[in-house]
Amino acid sequence: MFEFFFKYPLASFMKGRFVLLGRWPGWVLVLLAVLSAGGLGWLMWSRRAEAAPKLRGWRGGVVWGLESVLIALVLLLLWEPAMTVAELSSQQNIIAVLVDDSRSMGIADSGGDGRQTREASAVKALQDGVLAGLQKRFQTRVYRLDAKAMQAKDLGEIRADGAATHISDGLKQLAAETSDLPVGAVVLLTDGAENSEGGVGRETMNALRNRRWPVHTVGFGKERAAHDVEVDDVSVASRAMADSRMVATVRFHQRGYAGGKATLVVRDAGKPMLSREVTLAPDGAMQTETLFFHAGSAGAKSFEFGLMPLAGEENVKNNAVTRPVTVSDEKRRILYVEGEPRWEYKFIRRAEDDDKTVQVVSMLRTTENKIYRQGINDPKELESGFPVRPEDLFQYQGIIIGSVEAGYFTPSQQELLREFVDRRGGGVLFLGGRFSLADGGWGGSSVAELLPTSLPAGRSTFHRDPATAELTTSGGDSPVTRLVDDPLKNVERWKKLTYMMDYQEAGTPKAGATVLADLKVGQRKLPLLITQSYGRGRTALMATSGTWRWQMSEALGDTAHDLFWQQLLRWVVGDTPGRVVAGSSAETLTDDGRIRLTASVRGQDFLPAADAKVEAHVIGPQGLSTTVEMVPAGDVPGNFVADWTAEKSGAYLAEITAEGTGPLKDLGRDVVSFQRTDGVAENFHTEQNREMLEKLSAETGGRYWRPEDLSRLPREISYSEAGVSVRDTKELWNMPVVFLLLVGLVVTEWLLRRKWGVV
Amino acid sequence: MKVLQGISVAAVVLMFCTLVYAYQRTADWGYQPEQTSEKAEFAWSRLSYTSNMSSYGWGGYGRFGYGRGGSWSRDYPKADRQFLIALNRLTRVQGRPIEQVVNLDSDDIFNYPWVYAVQVQMWSFNEEEAKRLREYLLKGGFLMVDDFHGSVDWENFMNGMRMVFPDRPVEDLTNKDEIFHVLYDLDDRFQVPGEQYIRTGRTYEKDGYVPKWRAIRDDKGRIIVAICYNMHLGDAWEWADDPDYPETFASMAFREGLNYVVYGMTH
Repeated sequence: MFEFFFKYPLASFMKGRFVLLGRWPGWVLVLLAVLSAGGLGWLMWSRRAEAAPKLRGWRGGVVWGLESVLIALVLLLLWEPAMTVAELSSQQNIIAVLVDDSRSMGIADSGGDGRQTREASAVKALQDGVLAGLQKRFQTRVYRLDAKAMQAKDLGEIRADGAATHISDGLKQLAAETSDLPVGAVVLLTDGAENSEGGVGRETMNALRNRRWPVHTVGFGKERAAHDVEVDDVSVASRAMADSRMVATVRFHQRGYAGGKATLVVRDAGKPMLSREVTLAPDGAMQTETLFFHAGSAGAKSFEFGLMPLAGEENVKNNAVTRPVTVSDEKRRILYVEGEPRWEYKFIRRAEDDDKTVQVVSMLRTTENKIYRQGINDPKELESGFPVRPEDLFQYQGIIIGSVEAGYFTPSQQELLREFVDRRGGGVLFLGGRFSLADGGWGGSSVAELLPTSLPAGRSTFHRDPATAELTTSGGDSPVTRLVDDPLKNVERWKKLTYMMDYQEAGTPKAGATVLADLKVGQRKLPLLITQSYGRGRTALMATSGTWRWQMSEALGDTAHDLFWQQLLRWVVGDTPGRVVAGSSAETLTDDGRIRLTASVRGQDFLPAADAKVEAHVIGPQGLSTTVEMVPAGDVPGNFVADWTAEKSGAYLAEITAEGTGPLKDLGRDVVSFQRTDGVAENFHTEQNREMLEKLSAETGGRYWRPEDLSRLPREISYSEAGVSVRDTKELWNMPVVFLLLVGLVVTEWLLRRKWGVV
Repeated sequence: MKVLQGISVAAVVLMFCTLVYAYQRTADWGYQPEQTSEKAEFAWSRLSYTSNMSSYGWGGYGRFGYGRGGSWSRDYPKADRQFLIALNRLTRVQGRPIEQVVNLDSDDIFNYPWVYAVQVQMWSFNEEEAKRLREYLLKGGFLMVDDFHGSVDWENFMNGMRMVFPDRPVEDLTNKDEIFHVLYDLDDRFQVPGEQYIRTGRTYEKDGYVPKWRAIRDDKGRIIVAICYNMHLGDAWEWADDPDYPETFASMAFREGLNYVVYGMTH
């Protein structure tokens, strides 16, 4: 229809450029049109008195308008309007036809009846005339596209068995491999299920623009699944302490089950560790659920997070994802400095007796001049009191400051305490007590900046009066305060905890600090448990010394007290780095084994060890064992990198060791685990990604096509500036629409005059 | 006539004695231990238990409740207060100057994780009391028992203890045990006699010739019941200010008591 009126296809107008072929300049046309309209208007106005009465008002204006447009149109035709458009030269160009043959194309949701596979639909569309139509004017090359683009001898090679879809990489590869060929356009038949994050990358887009390729995308598959649940992402720490409580955030969406129930499951080596029923959000809405589970024993683990398949689900392979987690049973040591014998000290120590991964080493002032040490490794440890040298203090991962005055520490020890957090990356926990916080003079000390609150002035902030605890919103989501897995029940559990024997006014939380729990004293609310990050480490404040009542007054066997302290102290030390910290560019490699291993190496005093010798020993599937030398990263002293490729699918473990040049030769070791999964990504995002395909075609000058519209593709694809093309000039004066417009204007005026009776 | 007079006098005397005794029992039942509103970290807690047994003029037959004069209150309150003076003076423990009397009738005992009991050969528990004491100890409470002597006392003590812990063994402590080093090194311990030493020169009572430092432990090996058998530390604290009571006994008693308190607050 469009071509009937306008003589040329819409695509030519979209890509063409309007020109005037007349010899006179365009501004003369505009001037004449304006002068004509003005002259006509002046003539009509000056002779208004002689005109029929009906034409003296607005009707005269309408007549003037119609006649002015008519004159302007005639003038335009005299200037010879035309359109220049680039067009592929016939028989001199190649059209690259890329057909996605990844596994997702094997899903049977296409065709007229919706039961044909996407791949079959694509092949059928090509066989039903598209390919033949293209071949009338162009050469064609058919490629099958999965992880990369491979030329296919015929359509029979396309079998929808590719393990991955890398559209971006495939297009980039095509641009590189055909740099000496006159490829005029690209036709991409796909579901758009790109496995790489971020869709079509910048490099690919630049390559396409350099070749001026219009990419015509043809979308296959349902744009919306009828019944499906899909896990989009799982966020979980890549390392954990043995037997610790871990938190994972699972993001998923569903279609067709809004308001229904589903079961979230966490598995370790196939064995269910946790399951929880959730109510599903509306169709397409992203849903986020937080799961708490136990890391279990030490080792390199692969946890699976997923939803149990629902009845009638179309694709159950996208219900779960796995994440590698390195669980360590390395003993973390906490130095607990206590200024007086008190119950809180005893019961914290007892709580930690059950924690195999945390060792509390304590120094307790029993008298003015006696220090009682517990948990020491050898008789000389802490023999002289609180350490004064970094290498002595930095052997601990955390510190608890109990009821002890700031003045008990020398200025250099206070500075060491600050550097313990800032430089070493350790955690410090301040407890309430009669010599603690403001009452202990900590507010005026050089360590005050470590505290997560601004302490109140004065020294009467410790009160031996009952207070109860209540979780804040942040506390409700924190693994530190999680006594019961169910979030709502956990909040209620805290409300029902027996009162604490005492409390301390902790002041105002600093910007960036997080209050996990509040004290309730009568009608007053005061911060009880506050945490914050500081430098490389973290600090916390627990404004009471009376939680021991949770142990003594709750029922025998109640775990609230011990669990809370174990979780809090694990938070204190859990992220404290060693001298060697290993990392990787990704935890899960999807169909591509390239990975960058990183290491941050520090010396004996935890200053960057730029001259260390660092190696990564990688253990992988099928007995793989190799050593990779790491080189300085260059940008930050003490940072090392190594680029490596995991060739096979499976789980990998890299142990990174560092050797120093100073007195301390063995700087330490750290492990990082990662996994390569091949073909798994094809099970996800299986709905047609029309948005991505439309964007790709729009940005390259192509067009998004539905399969049923493909018959026009062979004709429209020729408008391209790529390959061997010529710029054609197409005259517009003889378009039928112009003739119709001229006639229409005259007829309209005549009909109006007839109607008004002024013919 | 003389016989009648004699009977009458005897009856009057008997009636008088009965009235006096009855008056005393009524007074004992109404006794309330001295309390204080002062707050501190540590409260010296003396266990007031019930008894089914007589005790050499203290108490008698039947369940005598918690009245003062019961066997639980031997040396009370002077021993307690003198010990508290030592505790506050010699350690950094913040001890309340006035002791606290606790019993097993209510859950209030759970607010006092350290408890001292004497004359424990006299104690007796019903099921509820035994259960409460068992839970108290397993949750983290600490019990120090003192001032019972000889084999008969031991058996009577164990009769109560077996209601609390039917299966947990009682063991003799050695010098290596942490409780003897937590504050003072007490490798050279000796028998601390009661006040009777001033009159008799004997360090033992009944057939308790050899002092025994024994204990019951929890599943992690921590002492939860510290047993001072064949010694009388309470008397030593009480009579420490008596010029006739040897300083060496009082000092040892204080050191042992302080070690037991600090151990109970650290383990």
